[in-house]
Amino acid sequence: MATRAFDYQILAQTGRTFRLERLPLSSFVAPLALLALWQLACLTGLFPPQVLVPPSGVAKALADMTASGELQRHVGDSLQRLLIGFVIGALAGMAFGATIALSQLAEAAFSPTFLTLWQVPVIAFVPMMVMFLGIDEPFKVAVVAIASFFPMALATFDGIRGVPRNWFEVAKIYRLRLFQLIRRILLPATVPAILTGLRISLTRAWVVLVAAELLAADSGIGQMMEMGRQLFQIDVVLAGVIVSGLIGFLLDRGARWIESRASRWRTA
Amino acid sequence: MSPYPHAREDRPPTAASRGALTISDLDKSFQIGGQARRILDNINLDVRPGEFVSIVGASGCGKSTLLRLIVGLDTDYSGELRLDGERIATTSLDRGIVFQDHRLFPWMTLEQNIELALLNTDTPKARRARIVADHIALVNLTGFEKAYPHQLSGGMAQRAAIARALVTEPKLLLLDEPLGALDALTRVHVQNELQRIWMTQRSTMVMVTHDVEEALYLGDRVIVMSPNPGRIRHIVEVDLPHPRDRRSPLLHRLKDEILAELTSGADAEEARDNLVHLPSREVR
Repeated sequence: MATRAFDYQILAQTGRTFRLERLPLSSFVAPLALLALWQLACLTGLFPPQVLVPPSGVAKALADMTASGELQRHVGDSLQRLLIGFVIGALAGMAFGATIALSQLAEAAFSPTFLTLWQVPVIAFVPMMVMFLGIDEPFKVAVVAIASFFPMALATFDGIRGVPRNWFEVAKIYRLRLFQLIRRILLPATVPAILTGLRISLTRAWVVLVAAELLAADSGIGQMMEMGRQLFQIDVVLAGVIVSGLIGFLLDRGARWIESRASRWRTA
Repeated sequence: MSPYPHAREDRPPTAASRGALTISDLDKSFQIGGQARRILDNINLDVRPGEFVSIVGASGCGKSTLLRLIVGLDTDYSGELRLDGERIATTSLDRGIVFQDHRLFPWMTLEQNIELALLNTDTPKARRARIVADHIALVNLTGFEKAYPHQLSGGMAQRAAIARALVTEPKLLLLDEPLGALDALTRVHVQNELQRIWMTQRSTMVMVTHDVEEALYLGDRVIVMSPNPGRIRHIVEVDLPHPRDRRSPLLHRLKDEILAELTSGADAEEARDNLVHLPSREVR
């Protein structure tokens, strides 16, 4: 019952945003308008059809690539890299974020370096990494891991630092031991921040992975687009744009869903 | 017949040395802007086992600081703080505290919040559920065991916090403006509850409050403090048996006296200094 009351409250507060969350008809207006505009631009003949492929051409390319299994192979390769790199990067980020949040010494020692490196676009590391790791799997996994590491470390740090002092006092009054404090108070209190960090890491890692594949790869959704560009198959490039966008969207949705499930108690 | 079946006879219980608090020559300073500022000055007080002591005073008189020292969250003081003869050096399950904010953990149910307090007691696991249920009943929250804090009203959450503080059966319960955030009606209700709980529980209680009427209604003694630095100015004995009648003429007379004391002389000057001074509305 309280949950329902909360939903109404959010509705009142955020109105439109809330309805978008639920994906009603209105959220299809923008993509359809974009599609119409695209089709219209093709009909005017402003660009030759080889450059600006009409939506129908892209749909055909998507269907062909799906039928041949080529699309699934590229998407599968990309998602596998994403998964491995994300698990490594997010875990390392969590451990690092927790360390600098809990130890002032570690914070003083590492946080300036961390904050500086964080300002460097992950793509800027690519040339160097290609030299060290080549363009095979380790390189792509490493790119994803780096991209996931930073937002995750920052979210974990903020999450732990954001735990109210008052709660530590309560823990002290009831004589909780360090392990009990971590398990019963720190972990649950930081779950919302960590889940948000996971979502941001995941979507960021996806964007960076596709970009890295565009630069150097032998398979994957980005490489598929790059090959399309080189062979002047713009329909394949646009198909890649649509697929990578959709996957990013679904990753974000899925993570948001988990986030809202896991922090239900946060309705105060 | 008494409406409180477990009510004790009014004066201290026979059980010796359970919850006797001794404060002697207590001083406390904070560093503010590089300068030591004295918050508590030469506090001397003996609280008898089972006694209910209220502390009132203007804001800034150090009364909350005093409770933080007694509970052991702050151990940087000079002088002596002893509970049953033992010097207070850190927190202990012998000393419970209820704050103005309930400080329940939002991801735990009422039951889980209270059970957390028993985590490091030697209470056998099998008996814990029973003890938690008893304390939920003590604060009249039976039926809300599975409720989350955000589902409780302010008064209910505060009662839950009282149950959590009492579940370890502390010798001494400290109450730091526990009813300060409640509306007037809820306040009266929880005051009655608190009186009933104290009469049932028999632990020593020390309550800090802004509300003189509340202090008198609940306290065997009311400590009146003056600010800058915090000192005990006056101790008022409230010689009335519990449960008390709010309409008692003695309570009203004492209330007028204490209020007059708090709003006159040096204290009133201090109180004015504590106001925010807007340039155009200077207090003259």
